[in-house]
Amino acid sequence: MSTLLFRSGTSWLHRANPLTKLCGLLWATTAAFVLPWPAAFALAAVLAAWGVQSGIGGSFVRRLLLLIGPLAIALLVIHGFLMHYPDSRAFGPLTFSLGGVIHALRILARLAAVVSASFLFVATTHPADLLKSMDASGFPPGLSYLVASPMLLAGMFAMRTRAIHDAQRTRGLALDGSFWTRLRALPALLLPLVIVGLLEANQRALALHGRAFRALPRRTVLDPPADSRGGIWVRRFLVLAAIMQGGLAFWR
Amino acid sequence: MALRFRFDTRTLTLIGLGAVINIVAGQVNTWLRLPIFLDSIGTILVAVLTGPIAGMATGLAGNMVWGLIASPVEAAFAPVAMVIGLVAGLFARAGWFRYVWQVILAGVAMAIALTLVAIPIQIFIFGGATGAGSDVAVAYFVHVGRTLWSSVGLTILGSNIADKVISALIVWFVIRKMPNRLATTYTMLKYNRA
Repeated sequence: MSTLLFRSGTSWLHRANPLTKLCGLLWATTAAFVLPWPAAFALAAVLAAWGVQSGIGGSFVRRLLLLIGPLAIALLVIHGFLMHYPDSRAFGPLTFSLGGVIHALRILARLAAVVSASFLFVATTHPADLLKSMDASGFPPGLSYLVASPMLLAGMFAMRTRAIHDAQRTRGLALDGSFWTRLRALPALLLPLVIVGLLEANQRALALHGRAFRALPRRTVLDPPADSRGGIWVRRFLVLAAIMQGGLAFWR
Repeated sequence: MALRFRFDTRTLTLIGLGAVINIVAGQVNTWLRLPIFLDSIGTILVAVLTGPIAGMATGLAGNMVWGLIASPVEAAFAPVAMVIGLVAGLFARAGWFRYVWQVILAGVAMAIALTLVAIPIQIFIFGGATGAGSDVAVAYFVHVGRTLWSSVGLTILGSNIADKVISALIVWFVIRKMPNRLATTYTMLKYNRA
């Protein structure tokens, strides 16, 4: 199972250091909360255009619309036609409020900017590169493992779940029928997966111990993603700006 | 005084496992078409086996990684997943994963606690909507005159209570069926295995 949103490519964004992109995501997320809503929409549009220019346009726009589309409908209905604002006036069996619509647009613009930035990051950054960057920058190995293991194990566990599903079906497990029939099938599918996972967790811990993965001095990364002194300063600037923007968002 | 805290290596591997179980349990649910999420089983399992701090870390890791690889919105709800791990761990530490009635109450407590954390996130970040089917319930409650806070709260609680009770029962079933050789390696289980 490939759950990754990553799309390979050779664009500038694909080649950029993952940690710099992560700091950029942090900056864009906090910026979305302090910018006026038209500016937040503009930020989302710029990020979407950047995604298209980077060669990830198709999946990027599709994912964005799938996520933002239902949210837009729900927000406009709830705030524009159902909630009572000072300027609400009768609109058939409902009410209509321009203030409510603007409030919905404000939230939508913020979310569009955050989601665009997130998709831009995940679609141009392979998890393995992010991990190499973390290791190369001196992050604790335990933290890197926490980020890495779910991403690396997800595919394997999905295949194993499929194998358990097929085996139990062969043995006559009913997955259709009433709610209670389907609910009773749940332990038969999950129990083998969890027990085997727990046994493997012990073995995995022993293997990590055996490799002394927390030993000092830290291991060097064989092929770390490209980084530069300028990139480090850009990251510092982005984090500082994000902290200030976050503080401003809370203060307001 | 410097405060240093570090998970041991096996707890780290368990946290990774819990985060993966949270992700793949959703796949199982697509086969069974149950009207629940099943995305907290790994969090509750790790909390029961190793304690509330590891449970919180599992919730955080699961949501952040899922946000990173598939659905960025999930990352915003990481505090909710952490609260599930915290409450499950505290109940397990108090020995409340021993009998079915205790596990059901623990599931209800998790649903109530997560609701308290999820309401402000859903309202301040998402304006009360998430783009999911449950938005229809929020819209209905708002339409009949409830405030946005109570509408979102009722919807979250209603959609989570069965999920957390069933997830907690599955974890209880797992720890009961766990081979003794494996169970004895988890010291936290001494509070919850009859």
